[in-house]
Amino acid sequence: MNNRRSVLSLLGWTALAFVLGMVVCFSFLPLMGVNAWEAFKTMFGGVFADTFTMGNILVKMTPLILTGLAFAFTFKANLYNIGAQGQFYVGCICAAATSLSLADRLPAPLVIALACLTSMLGGAVIGFIIGFLKAKFNANEFLVSMMSTYVIIYIMQLLLRTVLQESKHEYIKTDKLPKSVWLPKIISGTSVSLGIVFSIAAAIIVWIILYKTTFGFRIRVTGMNMEAARLSGINTKVEFMAAFAISGAIAGLAGFAEVNGMQHMLLTGLDSDVGSYGIGIAIMADANPIGVIFSAMLFGILQVGGTVLSHSTDAPASIIDLMLGFVMLFVLISFFFRRKTELARLKKKKAGEE
Amino acid sequence: MQSIINLLTRAVFMSTPLILGALGEVIAERTGMMMCAVEGIFLSGAWGGFVGAYLSGNMFVGFLSAMLCGMLVALLYGFCTVYLGQHQIVMGTAVAILMTGFCTFFYRIVFGTPTSPLKVNPLPVLRIPVLSKIPVIGQVIFSQNIISYLTYLLVPCVFYLLYKTALGLTIRSCGENPEAVEVAGINVRRIRFLAVGAAGILGGIAGAYYSLCNVGMYNSEIISGRGWIAFGICFLGNWNPVGALLFGIIFGISDAIGIYIKALGVSGIPSELFSALPYFLVIVLTAMKKQFNVPAKLGVNYIKED
Repeated sequence: MNNRRSVLSLLGWTALAFVLGMVVCFSFLPLMGVNAWEAFKTMFGGVFADTFTMGNILVKMTPLILTGLAFAFTFKANLYNIGAQGQFYVGCICAAATSLSLADRLPAPLVIALACLTSMLGGAVIGFIIGFLKAKFNANEFLVSMMSTYVIIYIMQLLLRTVLQESKHEYIKTDKLPKSVWLPKIISGTSVSLGIVFSIAAAIIVWIILYKTTFGFRIRVTGMNMEAARLSGINTKVEFMAAFAISGAIAGLAGFAEVNGMQHMLLTGLDSDVGSYGIGIAIMADANPIGVIFSAMLFGILQVGGTVLSHSTDAPASIIDLMLGFVMLFVLISFFFRRKTELARLKKKKAGEE
Repeated sequence: MQSIINLLTRAVFMSTPLILGALGEVIAERTGMMMCAVEGIFLSGAWGGFVGAYLSGNMFVGFLSAMLCGMLVALLYGFCTVYLGQHQIVMGTAVAILMTGFCTFFYRIVFGTPTSPLKVNPLPVLRIPVLSKIPVIGQVIFSQNIISYLTYLLVPCVFYLLYKTALGLTIRSCGENPEAVEVAGINVRRIRFLAVGAAGILGGIAGAYYSLCNVGMYNSEIISGRGWIAFGICFLGNWNPVGALLFGIIFGISDAIGIYIKALGVSGIPSELFSALPYFLVIVLTAMKKQFNVPAKLGVNYIKED
């Protein structure tokens, strides 16, 4: 009963925040000479007009769910993995390198499986290093993970310019992956690949790990009260490293889903926002793995809607970040009011009992 | 020899915005506010500075507008974290996303889509009359722009403010023991809010330094993590203005080496590795650092009992 009420109040407040964020954002559109109401109709009409565009929502969601999960997982241990973007890129590099080098030598399903494994492993290694620096040297994981992204971006650029570059050596990108190692499409008439299944499965698995296993319990206890966790015999340093490695593996998987499932190649600046969007998604979902799926869907709708808008009106593509930014801002503000009303309700209840 | 002098001159030039941003961070973080909005503040400063300077044709107006933009973004961040009690790191990410969209969107509104990139003349070098004639030092230190001089003067000022004045004691106490400050009759939240605003002003100038002093133009990639480096410098410098100066110069040198190597086109070592150097340096130095003097309540919101 109580639980249902809190879910309802969360949904209500989030919906209100969403509407407010959109209103504020769209109120800037007349400055561009675009009618805000027409733009609104164009956007939502366009998003749900045909299966291809609706499919794009799922396409956009695929990496976002995973980067959201990556942040949520460490967040539960009261750690901050701000570097999901970098781990995502490492996953991309591993997936692309594995797929390109082995496609001719091994059977395709095996190559896909290996690409999936190596991308997760690559992300996990980066995550583990961050966790290790935190556990061993008490390095601030927030700063280290943030900086690791920039280091990885430059290394990726170097690799794309040298060993991984396409055979014509013209552009900073890899060759197109052979069709055999693409993830199969699961909905005809759209670009939706098997990647979305991986993402949703990952969300469910993360939920099970966090709430149904002793390992997840240890992670959450460490997050709630590190001192208490240590006194009760939990080796918090091991938890740090494990949480970061898993978080990195999830973000790496996003790289695999993007490279083998959607882009079929790796180029510089690919999805340069998934990391920071992931943080927003995780927070909007209160770091609940299942909630992440839905808030990723919201981000997906806004991204696809923004693209529709920029194609069919004079609104620029930057409207996407503006929408996401305002929606996130208002959602965070709504958390304050939700908490306040909740506290007021509890106080009233307590006063009534006395 | 001349090339080393050029390198050092460039290093001092590049360290200025980092030191400036880090000084703002020091003030804010000493009150217990983890300034995670720094990247967004830098960006808004770069944008606001360029728009102001281009439209008015006056550099001074540009920097004023950068200060205003930086402050407004910081106060938005401060309002949501200090008064609404939102998570500081998360709020910083929201501000960063918002400002990325906002600056690009409003650049388009103000300037439309110009066919060639808009430019302003970068802030000129101001040679100090006698001092700039000293060999080596004259060029490295006394042939910079006005913002660099002001930044270096600001370091002892902030140091004095933090360690020698009553206000400084209040600022530091807000980060160590906010309850005690509150008991002494000082409004902790207001101090934190104002400190964040001050950091925003400095961060705004620092951002504008990239658009107005370095290249004389604006694009959305102009900051690309420099704000986070300032954040890291504050951290590595032990939340101390002198430490911020020291690490600011180290990062200025590593920034300058990267640009220098790229310009020379030295074969053998890929330029990407030098571009990654400052970021890598933060990781290594953070891991190596043993002694931390973290403000006890850094990142913890102060919630008043009522």
